[in-house]
Order: sequence, then C-alpha cells, then structure tokens
Amino acid sequence: MTATVERTAPVTRVRPPSRRKSRRLEPFTIASYAGVICFGLVCAIPFWMVVAGSLTAESALSQRGYSFWPTPFSLDAYTTLFQGTRVWLSYGATIFITGIGTAIAVAATSGIAWVIARGLPRVSRPLAVFAYIPMLFNGGLVPMYILITQVLQLQNSWFAVILPLVIAPFLVFVQVSFFRATPQEILDAARIDGAGELRIFFQVVLPLSKPVIAVIALFYAVTFWNEWFHALLFLSQPEKFPLQLVLQNLISSVTNAAELGTTSAAPVYQMRLAMTVITIGPILLAYPFAQRYFVKGLTLGATKG
Amino acid sequence: MILAAPAVILLLVFAYGPMAGLVVAFQDFNVADGVFASPWAGLENFRFFFTSGDATRIMRNTLLLNVLFLSATLAVGVMLALMLNEIRGKVTKRFFQSVIFVPYFVSPIVVSIFLQAFLAGPGGRGGLINDAAGLFGIPSVTWYTEPGPWPWILTLVKVWQLGGYMSVIFLAAITAIPEEVYEAGEIDGASRAQMAWRITTPLLKPTAAILLVLGVGRIFYGDFATIYAIVGDNGTLFPTTDVIDTYVFRALRTRGDFGVTAAIGLVQSVVGFVLVVIATMVQRRYAKETSIL
Amino acid sequence: MSAHHTFSRRSFLAGTGAAMTAVGIAACGNGSGNGNGSGSSTYSLLLPGDTPTDWTRVRDAVNEKLRADLGFEIEPQFINWSNFANQSLLKFTAGEDFQTSLSARWLNIAQLIEGGSLQPMDDLLASGDYGNLTAAVDESAFDANRWSDGNVYGVPAVNSAARIHCYVARGDLIDRYAGGEITSFDQLEQFWYDVHAGEGIVGYVKNNSVFDVLGAPTGTMFAEGWESPSMIPLYFSSDSLLFVPSRDAASSGVTDAVPFWEYQPYVDALRRARRYYEDGIINADRLNVDSATAGALFKSGGAATTWAITDGANTSAHLSQLEAAVPGASLVTLLPFADGMDARPNQTFQADNLVVVNAAAADAEAAMALLDWVSIQENHDLLQYGIEGTDWTPVGEDAYEPTSDYANFPGYALSWRIPLERRYSRMSESEQAWFEWSKDYNNFTQDPFAGFIPDLSAIETEHAQITAAIGEYGNPLWAGAVDVDEGLDNLKHAVEQAGLATVQEELNRQADAYLAGQ
Repeated sequence: MTATVERTAPVTRVRPPSRRKSRRLEPFTIASYAGVICFGLVCAIPFWMVVAGSLTAESALSQRGYSFWPTPFSLDAYTTLFQGTRVWLSYGATIFITGIGTAIAVAATSGIAWVIARGLPRVSRPLAVFAYIPMLFNGGLVPMYILITQVLQLQNSWFAVILPLVIAPFLVFVQVSFFRATPQEILDAARIDGAGELRIFFQVVLPLSKPVIAVIALFYAVTFWNEWFHALLFLSQPEKFPLQLVLQNLISSVTNAAELGTTSAAPVYQMRLAMTVITIGPILLAYPFAQRYFVKGLTLGATKG
Repeated sequence: MILAAPAVILLLVFAYGPMAGLVVAFQDFNVADGVFASPWAGLENFRFFFTSGDATRIMRNTLLLNVLFLSATLAVGVMLALMLNEIRGKVTKRFFQSVIFVPYFVSPIVVSIFLQAFLAGPGGRGGLINDAAGLFGIPSVTWYTEPGPWPWILTLVKVWQLGGYMSVIFLAAITAIPEEVYEAGEIDGASRAQMAWRITTPLLKPTAAILLVLGVGRIFYGDFATIYAIVGDNGTLFPTTDVIDTYVFRALRTRGDFGVTAAIGLVQSVVGFVLVVIATMVQRRYAKETSIL
Repeated sequence: MSAHHTFSRRSFLAGTGAAMTAVGIAACGNGSGNGNGSGSSTYSLLLPGDTPTDWTRVRDAVNEKLRADLGFEIEPQFINWSNFANQSLLKFTAGEDFQTSLSARWLNIAQLIEGGSLQPMDDLLASGDYGNLTAAVDESAFDANRWSDGNVYGVPAVNSAARIHCYVARGDLIDRYAGGEITSFDQLEQFWYDVHAGEGIVGYVKNNSVFDVLGAPTGTMFAEGWESPSMIPLYFSSDSLLFVPSRDAASSGVTDAVPFWEYQPYVDALRRARRYYEDGIINADRLNVDSATAGALFKSGGAATTWAITDGANTSAHLSQLEAAVPGASLVTLLPFADGMDARPNQTFQADNLVVVNAAAADAEAAMALLDWVSIQENHDLLQYGIEGTDWTPVGEDAYEPTSDYANFPGYALSWRIPLERRYSRMSESEQAWFEWSKDYNNFTQDPFAGFIPDLSAIETEHAQITAAIGEYGNPLWAGAVDVDEGLDNLKHAVEQAGLATVQEELNRQADAYLAGQ
C-alpha cells in the first residue's frame, strides 16, 4: 500500500524545485555547467584520440604521435583484429564472466549487506568485521592458486575467475549504508502486517533498493569486465581468454631479455588503440542503458515513504 | 540471517581459506617443499625489506601518494557530484555523467600509453605538453627523468580515472537526500550555492566517512596497477613513485621468493588493520552515525 | 503493486538461483583441464608470448601426428612475456602438472634448481632413447649449460652457435648517407649523426638494455667491443651488477673481478650513451618504452638502425612492415667488427633459452620423448612453420616462404635446433652471411669463464638489494638519461650500502674455484 503512495507522490513533490531552477539561472549553476563541461572534455578528449589513433596509419602514428584527426585513415588494425575467431570468442568469455559474475555478486552482497544493516545484536557487528577483514588481509598468490587449481579443481573454468571476486567488501558497505537508510516505519508497518524477515527483505527492502542494486551491479560489472589477472592465473586455453587478457597479451607480446623476431606485420601502436576501443566500446555503449535504469532507480530511491 | 550464508561461505572459501598461506611469511620458502613444508625462517623475510635502506623512502611514498589520491579523488568526487546535481535536463545530466565516467573503464596500460603521448612523443622527445609549451617559448621538460612532479602527475591521473566514479557514488547519496530537507532552505531564500554548501555537503559526510575509513585500511597498499603501468622499471622516477607494491613486485622478479612477498604483504595488512581500528574508534567517538564496523 | 514486488523478488531469486546452480555446475564440471577425451593423455607445456595466429589449426595437426607417433597430445599454455617469469614460477611452486617450460638464468632457473623443481637430464640423455634430440643438439652445447652442481637441466634452444648483439640498419639510408657500406663503428656513428641531421630521425632505437652499453662482448653503443670482442663480464644475474674479471685470469687462476665502473671502456661507453642521448642520436624514452613499441618506431621508418641479434630473424621481423611504411626501404644486418668476418669474439656458449622438464610432471619420459620428437625435421617444421603447402612452402635447400598468417611459434622455448632451422626466404644477403657465420663454433673463442654459473644462495639478500639498486641507478645510466659522474656516484653509494663487498668476494671465490677446476 505504501508503495502505491510512493509511486504517485514523488511526481508532484520532486517537480517544484526543478521548475524553479529553470526560471532563474544562478551563478553556481553556471559555474557547475562550466565545471562539468571542462571535466567532461578532459575525459572525452583522450578517448577521442584513442579512437582517432586507432584509425590512423601506423607510420604516421609512430612518428608523429597522436592527433585529433585520423590522417592518413587506415582500418588495418581492425581488419587484423577481427580476422579469425579470437576476438569474438573473447567477447563471449567476457560476457559470460560479467553476466554470471554480476548476478552472483549482487545476490551474495545484498544478502550479507542486509544482515549487517539490520543491526542484529551479536551478529551484525562481527559480520561487518568478517566482511571487512579480507580487504586488509589476503593469503597471497600461491595459496589462492593452490586452492583454485588443486583443491577446487576449477582450472580452465570461468568460475575460477568469477568466484574470488564476488564479494567486494567496499560494495558491501556501500550497500549497507543504503540499506540503513531504509525508513524504519516501512519495516515496522510490514512487521505489523505479520511479514517475516525474509518476506520483508524480498518484498519491501529489495524493491526500495533498486538504486543501490543498480550501483553495485554496475561496479561489479565493470570489475568483471576489466578482469584479466585471475584469467591469466587460471585459464590456460586461449579459446577461453576474456577480452582484457587478449588485450594484455597483445600489448606485451614481444618483450624479453633474449628478444626474438616475429614475422607478423601487425601494426603495434594502432592495434593497441584499436583493441582499447574494442574493449571499452561495448561497456561504454551498454552504460547509458544501464544508467537509464540507474537514474530511474535513483529517483525512486530518493522518495521517502 | 540465512541471507548472509552465501556470502559467508564464499568469503570463507576464497578469502579466509588462502589466508592459511600467510605462514609462508615466516618460512624459507622453496619450490619443492611447497607452502606448508618449507623450513621456518623466523623473521628473516622481514629483514630483507627493512634493511634495504629504501624502506623509509618506500613507505613514505606509499603513504604520501595514497593520501594524495584519497583526498584528491574524494574532493573532486564531491565537487563533481554537487555540480552534476545542478545540471537540469535528464538527457544532459545523463550525458555528462556518462562522459566523466568513461576514464574508469580505461585500463592502466592504456592510461600509460596516453601519458607518454602527452609527456613524451615518439622516440621520447616532444609530447603534446612540451609542444604546447614550446608555442609560448617555455623550454621543454624531459618528464620521464624528473622525479619531482610525479606525485602530482599520478594524482591527476587518479583524479581523471576515478573522479567520475566517485561522483556517481556521491550523486547517488545526494539523490537519496529527501526533498523536505531543502524546503527550509528554499523558504529562507538560500541560493543554490548556499544550499549545496550548507545542506548537501554536510549530508555527504557519512558517505565520505565510509570511503575514508575503507581507504585508510588500504593506505599501505600502493596502487600497483596504475603506478607500475606508468613508471615501470624507470629508476629515475623511483625516488618519488616507488611504493611498497612495486618494490615487492621487483623483488619477486629478481628473487623468485614468495616468502618475502608474503612477509611484506603481512606488514601492509597489519598496519592497515591498526589504522582502521584507530579510525573506527575516532569515528565512533565523533561521528557515531557514520560508523560501519 | 504486488506485480511490481513479485517481479523484484523473482528476479532476485532468479539471480541467486543462477548463482547457486552455477557454483554447482562449476564444482561438478571440472577435470576438463587435463582431459583425456580421446583415450590418449594430454600434456601441458608452458610457452611464452601470445598465442600464434591460427594456432588451433596447427595444434590439431601436431596432435594428430603426436597421437600416432607417441600416443599423447599436447596442450601448451601461452603466457604473455610480461607475466611469464612470475607465472611460470608460480606454476612450478604450486606443483602443477605440466611437462616442459622455458627457463634461463634471466628467468628463475636458479630458484627452480635450488628448489628441486627441475628434472636432471644426464641419465635420460645417456639412455640412448632420445637419438633425434642428441643428434640435433651438440653435446658441447649441453656441457656449456651444465649447472654448478654438475647436472644438465635443460635443452639449449638455440639456432646458432652464438648469438652476437648487433644492428639491423636501413639499407636505403646507408646508400644515401654512408656510400653504400659501413664497415667500422666510427662509420656507423657518423652515419647516425648524418641521418639525424638529414632526416630528423634517431640513429638507433631500442628499449633499455645493459648490454647495449656494457657489451658482452659486443654492444650496440660499446665501440671497444667491435675492435676487440673479448670482454664478457661476470654476474650473478644479468639484471644485477656486472663484474669485470682480470684479463689474465685464465693464466693466473686469480679472477680478481671488479665492478664494471673500474673498467675504462665501459665508462667510456656510458659517456657515449649520454652523448647520444643529449644529441638526439638514440631514442630518449629507453627507460619506459617496451621493445614492441621501440621496434615499431624502426619498422615505421622512424630510426636508422635498431638492435638485432644473430638469430636469423632480423629480416623477417622487420621487412614487411618497413616496406609498407617506407616504399623502397631495405635491410642490412651490421656487425662492424674491425676484423670483419675474421673476428673471433669470446663466447660462453651459454644458451639464452633452455627447455626444462618439470620434476613434478606426471611423466618425465614423455616430456623427453616430446623433445626428441620435435628434433625430427618434419615435426619441427610442422610446429614452427605450420602445415607445409598451407602455411609455408620450401624454397631451395633450407629456406621457407610463409604463405599464411601462422607465425611466432616460440621455437626457442621448445623446438629450436641448429641443424633443423629453415631460413626466411627473403632474408637479406648480409643477414644470411652473418647467420651462417654465427652457426659455426669455430668462429668463436671460448671464454675462460664459459661454463661458470655462480651460485647465489649464500648472498641472496645482498644480491636482491644490489639488483634493486641497479634498477634504480643503473638503468638510467644505460639509457644515457643521467649525467655519468653523478649517476655513477649514486650507484656506487647504493651498491656499497647493499653489500657490494660481500657479493664481490663471493663471486671471486666461486670464480677462482671454477678456474682451479678447469
């Protein structure tokens, strides 16, 4: 019942300030626009240069450096990269790791965060410490490696990449602090209605927490999307490599003390940039869609029952 | 409580499980005997780091860089969030939010490639900054052999990478502030700037406090990925950029000894732990409502 | 309202459910790593670098043949170069089951031997079961790489008797600026300056390397080495401090090794590097550029020369891309010895790369059988050049022409054998001449310390700290990025603090013992 009220009420309540804003432009607003535009440019320009560079012929790139305009124009890097199945396979791997990883991570994180946020005596505090300790202490590479490859036998499984990363203490606390803001009255009302703890969590808390879930889902998704180190450790079949590992391999493919020649004529500079575009591209394209939900979610979250 | 079970199990297996391996820090680790059977070495592994003569400098760099990174990204994050909050028009706002978030997706290696383009052109001479300075008759600087400016350069890189990310966190917090809070301000005829400064900013304290406490715990950890990708093995920059993690990485490469790595990791953890306990105590005392532990 | 709620709950449950199912699947569905799908076993190997293009196709052909010949298959793991040292050490450490790996003194071979991770090979080699291998690798090559405990731990993967550091230069620029030929280091230096003045490009491009300056015995900025290629420094590891032994150590039996800065030609070379840096003759980003990027500058026409080694891969590494960037460009391999091809440089014949067998591997004999199998011409060619007719065609006696994108198989980590290597069909005449020259052991002088591999276990901590000091103060010197006097002062100070005296004494003690045993 409460939710029905919420869903109609904000429309009238949120509006007035914004209407007022459009009437009168204050200096702070102007300064904000300027500030955001400047920072936006600083962020966008290098990215544009990567795109332009990935389309510039290798010889111009290595001798003259980066420029704003791709001259002479060249698609060499992209044609080289998309030859064969490698990049496509790695997209598949990355999408699997990101999709499944984010689902597991959000589910597990929400669960523990809620129990911490509930403030249960003798449970919540120790649990918070329990979740926080791994942020400070870790067993290091060798034990982790032995655990995954020998105890759990997860080598060459994408889950070896996913599972060590599914609980980020930082995001647990982001979520805890949001859960804590859940209005007590709503919980009390639900309890009076006779709802159990689980039902409260699923029917009351989660629907109210879409914004947090959107935030942590995005952050987890980015983590999984950018993940290469665990993939390097635990995956040995090149068909299973995610995109970022392929990028890593490409960038560091010829460096060693006893350096050896290669017969391939891949454009080094250009290819790195193209690979960057390919790697960032999809998540960048997906981001506005996620963000649409994100922003909507945030607006919903702003309403207080 | 059952809701916490999956997370607790996952943490037990993947975070607490490998911690048993910390014994390596006290072992004369060797490959054949492995983790649990190598002979004991007492504190020998710790000696390597603390007698190196570089220990003070490395610890100082680690702390200094982390303080710079943490304060700069927090400050810029809050500022950007306040500014973004002023932007009206859903589409415009969303557009800018997306744009400033972009650097977060760029991997450290690519960041280092950019930075080389800006600070040193092909073959290591020129670069966009020097070219631009040249137009005004400013002599060019060989950035990659001048350790002085690097803490600031790295801080700028971090702000660039994380400013948008931080601002999203703060913006989420701003959006969660109920409208009524502003109503009083509106009635008083406060300007947008006053409201941002007097009402919004104080309400961001809990979020900032959480980020700070979490950051303090990791203050002894260098930002390995970014720093190593940018500085690499460039010794001339070590005086200001060498942090514990990069030092350990090189030590592992030359010594191939996981015992030393584990020992230094343990020191980092213990220092972080102590700092967090202190920070939490301070927080409880002065700002109880923001405490997370 | 309720629809709204149910949806959330359902999606949450779906998420949790998917998560748990996934964990379940993962827990059950393992064992595919060392799978034995077709009844024969599959062995893993560690190889450095990126997976070659079209690898799956070639691997399938290799496995088909291997299955028929030896009854097993291989599934190599390719680990990129920047992670190879740590990752291979980690896999050895964790006792992982793989058969062979690349190792070397510049990797972790010392730690691996000390830890008992490597299979000693003498008995296996002496068994006579691996005739193809022993026929393809000279016994003296095994002996030159004998470890200080007297055992052979690896198959030297080399394709020439000795690999000499040299240059690959732009032939078209030599025609324009150096009258078509360069025969001495002085001429080369003049050429660099002329090209720099005329074309505005750097004379020599390379990522940072100590051996460019402190040649061993030749170095690209070490003039003396081209006059008299006889100095090979001693060291515990090549990224640490280099020591210079006394010139009459062989006859006197007293090594008396001193730090490199007490050997005047090396200091001269440092000053030369500094001058080149300041004059724009070498690239200024040596300290932070990687070899691929440095190579790309040369390949795109941005430098007159770059680093090379006599491994027969200079032309193939650079030509096609250079031609695309600079029409009419050509390549020349340059070794400007004062004595030309009569030079007899000192060599230790220690291989840069060794193929080692993992002691923890399930089956050391299978590993040796594999190393033997790749020592057969047909198999060697299949692995390195791909499927004949599809990936390459033979040209003349011993050359090949690549006809597909299959390239970059890291033969130096498994299959390089001097008698089996084929020459790239477009190899430049100069490279061909020098490559042939470098295959002949008689063209080199055996260094007095040829088989000397010092054991650093007694001075590990000091050595690690000296290495750290070299990383900080030495590297900028090799790059020419700091003033030589000031840089050397800093370096000396740091190295002395780190325990130079102890390390020097230990090195001399071991070297004297080695000389006494000769």
